[in-house]
Amino acid sequence: MGSSGKQEAFRLGFLTALEIPEKGYVGGLLVTNQQGRPLEFQCTLPVKPNSTQEILYGPTLAGFILGELIGVALFEKAGVKPHLVLTDCEPILELREHIAAPVAFVAPDAGRPAPAALPAPDSVLALDANGGLPQLKVAPAANGQPGQLDEAGGSVPSSAPAEQPQGVEVRLGRQIIRLHRAHVEDGGTVQAGARHVPGDADLSEPFERVRSALYEALRIGAAK
Amino acid sequence: MSDLSLSGGQELVLGATPGATDLATAPARPALVEIFTSGINSALHRFPKVRCQEAAAVVTAELAERWRPNWGGVKTVRLTFPEGIEFLPPPVKRVTGPGQEKPQALAGPQPPPEMPPRKPTRVKPPPDALSLEDRLFYLLQPPLETWLKGQELIMPFEPFHYQYEGIAWLFSQKGALLADEMGLGKTMQTITAMRLLLRSGQVGRILLVCPKPLIPNWLREFKSWAEELPVVTIEGDGARRQMLWTMPGTVILLANYELMVRDMESFGEQPPQFDLVVLDEAQRIKNRDSRTAATARGIPRKRSWALTGTPIENRPEELASLYEFMEVVPPRATPDLRQLTRLAKQYILRRTKDLVMTDLPPRLDRDAILDLAPAQRSAYETAERDGVVRLNDMGDAISIQHVFELVLRLKQITNYDPLTGESSKLERLEADMEEIAACGGKAILFSQWTGCIDWLVARLARFNPLVYHGKIPTHKREPVLAQFKQDPNVHLLLMSYATGAVGLNLQFAGYVFLFDRWWNPAVEDQAINRAHRIGQKSPVIVTRFISKDTIEERIDRVLQEKRELFALVLGEGEATNQSLSMNASEIFGLFDLKARHGKGTRQIGPAPAEQAPAA
Repeated sequence: MGSSGKQEAFRLGFLTALEIPEKGYVGGLLVTNQQGRPLEFQCTLPVKPNSTQEILYGPTLAGFILGELIGVALFEKAGVKPHLVLTDCEPILELREHIAAPVAFVAPDAGRPAPAALPAPDSVLALDANGGLPQLKVAPAANGQPGQLDEAGGSVPSSAPAEQPQGVEVRLGRQIIRLHRAHVEDGGTVQAGARHVPGDADLSEPFERVRSALYEALRIGAAK
Repeated sequence: MSDLSLSGGQELVLGATPGATDLATAPARPALVEIFTSGINSALHRFPKVRCQEAAAVVTAELAERWRPNWGGVKTVRLTFPEGIEFLPPPVKRVTGPGQEKPQALAGPQPPPEMPPRKPTRVKPPPDALSLEDRLFYLLQPPLETWLKGQELIMPFEPFHYQYEGIAWLFSQKGALLADEMGLGKTMQTITAMRLLLRSGQVGRILLVCPKPLIPNWLREFKSWAEELPVVTIEGDGARRQMLWTMPGTVILLANYELMVRDMESFGEQPPQFDLVVLDEAQRIKNRDSRTAATARGIPRKRSWALTGTPIENRPEELASLYEFMEVVPPRATPDLRQLTRLAKQYILRRTKDLVMTDLPPRLDRDAILDLAPAQRSAYETAERDGVVRLNDMGDAISIQHVFELVLRLKQITNYDPLTGESSKLERLEADMEEIAACGGKAILFSQWTGCIDWLVARLARFNPLVYHGKIPTHKREPVLAQFKQDPNVHLLLMSYATGAVGLNLQFAGYVFLFDRWWNPAVEDQAINRAHRIGQKSPVIVTRFISKDTIEERIDRVLQEKRELFALVLGEGEATNQSLSMNASEIFGLFDLKARHGKGTRQIGPAPAEQAPAA
């Protein structure tokens, strides 16, 4: 429906990221209406820290890149601003410290296969190793860390172990989402918007779309 | 810097930054003579000469007040989705309870609770979508089940999984031939895909062209599956039609083939433009040189869809005309069989009932081989004998039309004897209908001739038959179908192949009679599938009347061979150039026609290789 938003009572932003060996992090933000229909999508080019930055940022590196760099850039450049940003990548929760909109973490759905088990698009796997990305596989993101890719197909531990912040929890659609612990006031905003979201809405599903789009963007970018 | 090194074993040199003091110039210690316990004379103990030496730094050190990481700006790529067309919101009914009133959406496609959750249907980008924007547009659409499930689009009932796949496929295709077997819901899939394209802003103006008798059917289906979509039917006099074609704000235009051809030609060089043109029963453009095909190709459009249950009626080459309309081959292209097969994989979606409708009740075919009644037999033999003699006398002047006339004459006699009114088929039909009516069943009968249908009406009055053929005005046809469905006293619908074989939904009828045979097995299948389609709850019994020892048996034999060939072409892609309907050679072959040749005779008729289709 574009930006005019006649029926966009409550716009949702689905923000997630991937970590690609040798290339860094890419993030994607899909803004939908309350029914999950896409309004705008935006993704970053890969952001790769150099070794100095890795040393200096230490364990805060992932949170910084995902929340402050990628998250802020995607939110600020969005033409259609979401009323609520959802993420399945816990470090991105830190984005809340830099924007005015509420940010919430959607835990992976127990009934849904973890991103690691989702088949990557054939096109990505078929890429020529010489021409672009090597054969990639997504590592588990069940811990709320960004999905990671490795050549061997094994699981790569996240660079920053997730701490376990406790924030306000709100039911939205089929999921229970957790807000940033330092912004309990977001609960009211989210609850007010939640009445627009169908009770059976699956808030984990749009992240699959974002990941598919990121793979596609990487594939096409690598082919160029 | 603390570089310490020995120089010549005697001299210790301390490297220092420029300006450091030379230790050798420091005041000397007082001389002490000590006896070491080791016995070495302490006088031999000497201080090394130490001096500082300038050395260039290996790396230039920089001093700064502070260091800040410079990450630069994060570059992003943005895709904004086009604005879709807003329609009336889904109807909401109010459920009033004690002390409360809450809105409730009308029934969306809710799967039965006992159904296991199935894999959601995702829209895939078509292979010919190359740009990132195009591919992401499709990838980022929600699963169809979510999209349709009562959240925004009300559906009368849950589509089957293969229908979801068909909708997703159509949604992403610019050129598409949906060739599902009759009865699998091409109409519903097309309407829903149109609906999604309109909703997502991909199209804004659609032209749907279909045979004239099917216009009420399409209107009914639109109302059922997408009642919010405004549909305008092209009709009326020339001035009114011109106005309808060009009226701004029209979303879906529905036209029949004849009016499309006539009106588009009147527009000349500036025909109206469309985002999507859909041809129903697209076999109508199988002849690429026909006016219909040329006109359809000339309509400016962005997407081209063709719908047909019989993508190949006669020869695989017919696909080339459809491909040309779909703009997936260059104009006048003549793709060979290998290319046709390759294109089919990308641009044709065909599913058969056997593959997808495992729960559809079976279709039970039975041939009723009937002896002609005595008077019929006499009339038939006289007509055949005289006809063959006449043809033989014509010698090489004989044409396909002459043979055709004889075939039609004989076929009519096998239906009934015009002089005595005797008909073994009628006797059998009456017996079957007694049984069907007693059980409250409904049957459809197909014949090639409207005259035969009218003749039957008078003799089957006790079953309250209704008539549906080309002589029934269009505006009276819908009420006929409605009465057939609703009136429990009406047990029989008499239809002509030409008018009733395509597009109608008569799945409440459990019996189909083919009173005489059509030339093409695909048309017969279409007729049968009016009843044997989605929604049919019980097995459909199909009875083919064949008069024994007549031309009907010979035609049946040829059609059976054709049917087998048809399955071979579409099933395995091993097409041959054989015509699937009866060709001239085959029609000549129905009779043993000979011309005098010297003292003997010789066979008359075209060579077997001739493939000109007769029907």
